[in-house]
Amino acid sequence: MKQNPILDSHPQRIIAKNKEREAKYNLVKAILLDIFFVFYTIIAVQRAIYYKFILDLRELPFSWGEIGIIFIISVIIGTTWALTKTSLSCKLFGVAKDNKVTRWTVEIFGWVLFNVTFIAGWVVTKLSLVDLFSAEGIEGAQRIFGALFQPEMGIFDDALFAIIETIYIALLATLISIPPTLILSFFTARNLMRDNKISFAVYYILRIVLNFVRSIEPLIWAIIFSVWVGIGPYAGMIALLVHTIASNAKLYSEAIENIEEGPVEAISATGANKIQIVWYAVVPQIMLPFLSFTIYRWDINVRMATVIGLVGGGGIGTMLMQYQGLARWHEVGLIVLMIAFVVWVMDYISAKIREAIY
Amino acid sequence: MILEVQNLHKIYKNGIHALKGVSFGVNEGEFLVIIGLSGSGKSTLLRCINRLIEPTSGKVIFLGKDITHIKGEELRKVKTQIGMVFQQFNLIRRRSVITNVITGRLGSLGTFDSLLEKFSEEVYNDANKALETVGIGEKAKERADSLSGGQQQRVAIARSLMQNPKLLLADEPVASLDPATSNSVMQYFEKINKELGTTVICNLHFLSLVRRYASRVIALKAGEIIYEGIPDEIDKNWFKTIYGEEAEEVEIR
Ligand SMILES: Nc1ncnc2c1ncn2[C@@H]1O[C@H](COP(=O)(O)OP(=O)(O)OP(=O)(O)O)[C@@H](O)[C@H]1O
Ligand SMILES: [Mg+2]
Repeated sequence: MKQNPILDSHPQRIIAKNKEREAKYNLVKAILLDIFFVFYTIIAVQRAIYYKFILDLRELPFSWGEIGIIFIISVIIGTTWALTKTSLSCKLFGVAKDNKVTRWTVEIFGWVLFNVTFIAGWVVTKLSLVDLFSAEGIEGAQRIFGALFQPEMGIFDDALFAIIETIYIALLATLISIPPTLILSFFTARNLMRDNKISFAVYYILRIVLNFVRSIEPLIWAIIFSVWVGIGPYAGMIALLVHTIASNAKLYSEAIENIEEGPVEAISATGANKIQIVWYAVVPQIMLPFLSFTIYRWDINVRMATVIGLVGGGGIGTMLMQYQGLARWHEVGLIVLMIAFVVWVMDYISAKIREAIY
Repeated sequence: MILEVQNLHKIYKNGIHALKGVSFGVNEGEFLVIIGLSGSGKSTLLRCINRLIEPTSGKVIFLGKDITHIKGEELRKVKTQIGMVFQQFNLIRRRSVITNVITGRLGSLGTFDSLLEKFSEEVYNDANKALETVGIGEKAKERADSLSGGQQQRVAIARSLMQNPKLLLADEPVASLDPATSNSVMQYFEKINKELGTTVICNLHFLSLVRRYASRVIALKAGEIIYEGIPDEIDKNWFKTIYGEEAEEVEIR
């Protein structure tokens, strides 16, 4: 840096060098992806289509040895295939040769992949029109729908109380989430954190943690917390809170990343410090999006709180699960109708508020 | 000499070589105008001077001090002495005009007080005075985005006046304004230059504006200085060298 960087780093050379390196990385990626494609195809054909569909086995034979052999075969085929630069993955990563062979393999293998996936999916989900329209099936459907439209009003006040509990669970989770989410979002906004290595490391680690937390569904969090703090509304609330913080921090930080850079630049040019820049140039730009995300999240949380109740998170969901377990369909009918009504109202209100603030 | 730029190079991360060895000096009280085609490196040069970006090599010397690679607090202190006005005004839209003007003083205010937005009488007085200097004292309470483009740019000028800058940079300050408004905004730069004695470096596109306001002109082409002199010396030939054979001069009054 100190001497003259102009001589040894001619722009054209830098660009060419970067391109070369990128092509190398992409070839490695293509090899890995090709191995995966081949492995996936063989496994899907063997297990789903051959064993389950053609042989109609109930218990699938399983051995690590077999999987290992298939994997080794895939590695060999995938690697050689990718190295010829005519494979599907080479095409995807833009390192393929542009010739007839490439076009053919891409087309044929693309078709094979699609069909294998579709057929395997069909087999795995046990898709069956017979079940959907059998006499037995239709009867069951009639029973449920009949009950839904003759709800048992006897439990109305219980259900009302339970659904209010659900709304409060959602509301509290949303409100408590706001301060931690705000703080986290500033630390996970790339444009605020990229200046030095330490802050960038913080940014990176926080992102990974938040992505991990977010990738676990609230339902699973509810199961975890119902073991941790005991079954009930409290577990449900914490589960929602955790997930709300993780997902809203992402939305908030994206809003921060998308702000207009101009004011930030102008304020920093006056010699203001980092905190002042954030307060004067960033915060005014993100108030409205934040408010809107939060209200929307309350709406989502009401729906999620219902589902969470099914695993013991309290509220209307827990009640629904109890009556469903007893096969009391008329009671279930009332509960379902109430949920539908509340969700619809919440949806409407939150949409109206969001419209109003913009 | 208030500013000295020596053999300045800037290579962006994507490999673009935007400045290729630019050298010049600026005396106190000058009104220096930089002209050149789009992409010739005018904005890059200004950004290197007030260190919004770090030059790749060469030197920037401001008030006798080498500021090319300074960082942190030291850099912040230097920035407070250099004002900058942008083409897009870059005001905080949702805040009042007076708050926008006060943000120019942030560099010398305490962090805590500025977060609470508790400003002293003196700061308010200075802000109002700055607004009066650019002729929009009565707009203080209005929201910044309710103003017209020309008025917004005047607010931006007032904001930089709050810094009591030794040097005022302006990056195409009138490029998004109509001709009449352009002239009136340029007159405020002239006023600041003449009455307050602030040194001004300004990027401009229109030669008629250059002739009217500049005390000296530098022309950039592809990151290099190809002309330096007084505006009246830019004749047809120079014009074609700077802007290319096809260019025609347009008048703006
Ligand atoms: N942040 C950046 N990253 C990479 N390249 C950039 C960046 N900013 C500018 N450049 C490039 O540097 C060169 C000079 O740009 P610069 O903005 O300084 O020109 P300019 O003379 O101000 O042009 P204009 O009249 O369009 O504002 C251009 O080729 C531009 O694409
Ligand atoms: Mg520019």
